[in-house]
Amino acid sequence: MNAVIRTEGLVKRFGHVTALDRLDLEVAQGETHGFLGPNGAGKSTTIRVLLGMLRSDEGRAELFGADPWKDAATLHKRLAYVPGDVALWPGLTGGETIDLLGRLRGGVDKAKRDELLERFDLDPRKKGRSYSKGNRQKVALVAAFAADVDLLLLDEPTSGLDPLMGAVFNECVKEASAAGRTVLLSSHIMSEVEALCERVSIIRKGVIVETGTLAEMRHFSRSRLRATLKNPVRGLEDHAGVHDLSTDGLDIECSIDTAALDEVLAQLAVAGIAALTCEPPSLEEIFLRFYGDELAASGVPNGEPK
Amino acid sequence: MTAAVAELEDGLGTLAGTGKLLRFQLRRSRLYLLGWLAGLAGGTWMTAASFPGLYPDAEGRVAYGVTVNTPAMRSMTGPVEYIEAYGESTGAMFAHQMILWTGALTAVMFLLLIVRLTRADEETSRSEVFRSNPIGRRADLAAALALAGIAAVALGALMAAAVAALPGDQGASALLFGLAHTAIAVVFAAVAAVTAQLAGYASSANGLAFMVLGWSALTAGIGNAQENWATWLSPIGWAQLTFVYTPEQRWWPLALSAVVAVLAVGLAFALVTRRDFGIGMLAGRLGRGEAKPGLDSATALTFRLTRGMTLAGVITMLLLGAAYGSLMGGADEMLEGLSETERAVLDQGGSSIQENITATFVALNGLFAGLFGLLVVGRAGKEETQGRGELIAAAAVPRSGWPGSYLLAALWAVTIATVTAGVFLGLSGSASLGDWSYFSTGLWASLLQLPAVWALTAFAFAAYTWLPRLGWLRWVAWVWLFVVLYFANLLDLPEWARAVSPFEHLAKYPATDVDWLATALVTAAAGLLTALGYAGARRRDLQFS
Repeated sequence: MNAVIRTEGLVKRFGHVTALDRLDLEVAQGETHGFLGPNGAGKSTTIRVLLGMLRSDEGRAELFGADPWKDAATLHKRLAYVPGDVALWPGLTGGETIDLLGRLRGGVDKAKRDELLERFDLDPRKKGRSYSKGNRQKVALVAAFAADVDLLLLDEPTSGLDPLMGAVFNECVKEASAAGRTVLLSSHIMSEVEALCERVSIIRKGVIVETGTLAEMRHFSRSRLRATLKNPVRGLEDHAGVHDLSTDGLDIECSIDTAALDEVLAQLAVAGIAALTCEPPSLEEIFLRFYGDELAASGVPNGEPK
Repeated sequence: MTAAVAELEDGLGTLAGTGKLLRFQLRRSRLYLLGWLAGLAGGTWMTAASFPGLYPDAEGRVAYGVTVNTPAMRSMTGPVEYIEAYGESTGAMFAHQMILWTGALTAVMFLLLIVRLTRADEETSRSEVFRSNPIGRRADLAAALALAGIAAVALGALMAAAVAALPGDQGASALLFGLAHTAIAVVFAAVAAVTAQLAGYASSANGLAFMVLGWSALTAGIGNAQENWATWLSPIGWAQLTFVYTPEQRWWPLALSAVVAVLAVGLAFALVTRRDFGIGMLAGRLGRGEAKPGLDSATALTFRLTRGMTLAGVITMLLLGAAYGSLMGGADEMLEGLSETERAVLDQGGSSIQENITATFVALNGLFAGLFGLLVVGRAGKEETQGRGELIAAAAVPRSGWPGSYLLAALWAVTIATVTAGVFLGLSGSASLGDWSYFSTGLWASLLQLPAVWALTAFAFAAYTWLPRLGWLRWVAWVWLFVVLYFANLLDLPEWARAVSPFEHLAKYPATDVDWLATALVTAAAGLLTALGYAGARRRDLQFS
């Protein structure tokens, strides 16, 4: 596997605060990688180290196999970046900003730029100071998607976009992926990551706590099972793979380990099934599992929603 | 309920919450207000305290009055009526030379204050938080103006206290001097209240208000130079036309300020309910949809973003150079009017007063040109912490290009500002002496200051790249160089303190011969600081606010 991004034991401290605490992240070429975590978990710091804006204190970071701190300018020709909170030059119009950012990368594909302006419904003649947050975001997105680059680093790029524009953004990421581009998408919007990303890394307090494909993650977590049976079933609560079982007459509901599905379904089939739904865990549920203790501390009783 | 009562209630309703807002704004602005009030009143007090010692006898003041009684000098000071009173009143001399400048600073303080508290807050959506509370549509503006009113009265009182000890009182002259500043403050607060309703953005509201200030300085300058009615067109001129501290002293010109302020405040209140939140009466204009071909590098962007500062530097130095030059012709008479201490400051070892004061003026010009380099370097810091730099840093730009290009832009700004000062020092000096040989002297002397100006600029950049959180360091350095330049002879500063200043090492040309070795060494020091600055830019993290 050819890694576009690779960090090993990355540590970044700001004074007494350790923002990244031995972070290992790997993104393969051509992959759209979701980078999940709440605010302050270290997503932006990771991306800024990868961009050579911050120097790591320990560990290694590699971009296209090179050192992002030393070779920043050369590496940046191959990537485009959208920060989470885009600040624009108040006196420059959106169009000027897009052209400038394109030229700094070696040139602007005018047709592509105009097409993107159209799709994002952005007026390029307005001055930077008069754009709303969402429109500032669009300026950076148009500049990034218009660029002919190998890697897109997107740091919460859809904050401030309305759902319509969110859909346009999803289309653009899929096109970029189809064109063979590698995408690192940092986000806390689960549906966006679920729709776009093949692989996901979950970051917590500067450490990657889970990484893998969505399918793998689901495999190691529980599905939600609801069934209406024809006859009562016994012994379900003794099964090691069944959790939080609640029974109401012939209706049962439980969480169930993916590995236990075979056996439990066989047991239910014996009793006779009138209705059955089995939902794999959503990314949100997987994500919240890693933050269960924090949620408990803030008064949410259980790591899982509902 | 009659229509009139309903209208009245509606009018009062739009002011609901003004008191609460006022207290909040006062808290938020206390540093701004304290800084400006202390600076204005403190500076005035220090200058006023030094005047009697600098010009102790009437003959000296009269002789000095002769030298400043030229159109050029009057345009930068005040009306001729004050000059005629120089002999009998030190206060008249002080008021003549100060009101234009303290008045202009007062105007800047109040117009920035009003725009800060109104439009700027709307842009950062701070006041949105308030508008959602039970607060009337006019309460923002009412609170801002009330705060400005309180500050204006405080300023007047402090200014009056600052000049209270000046000789030459013509009956409550200190009070009138203070009131004149209150009047200027109130007028410009009211003007800014109107521009804040008109302009599309806070920055253009400031721009419009500054245009009114420019108009005031221009008309006062023209009127005072030509001794005609143009001074009556200027809010700062009205303060000057009180002829405070002269036998002709009068209070009524300030009534004009009151009338204009009342009209402007009325207009602002009428406009504020007619516009939408966050949008001015004059819509922001659309710009270019595509960038010009030249905007293709970080350096091009840096130069574009700093061109306003560079232009301000060129214009300032043009005026300063021309003003210093205009003193050349009358320098011999001026010398006679000077005190011992002032002669000590001016003595640079030259054979004539012109040579001595040229050597001092070009160093001052260099230092003032350096201010604009410091401003450009400061802009780099703002770009960085406000997050715009991130977009450039993520592009294919080496660190020497960003933030490195800001050193280039700063060096360009100080160089062109210094050259402009030299050209206009030469031109206006030649004109006032009636001798064109002075042109090359004035220009050459100015150009010889460049290595020191570069060293100061490169130091500011190195301080920015190595110690980004200590932004005040470059201003401390500037003030120190200023103190060394102005007071080294007076205060007997130790050798090391003077040695810090690059200006001290350069030869005092034309008072002495050019010292090429010193010029080369200071240039080398500037080069070293430049290298140090770039090394700092390459090694450090970007700062995020």
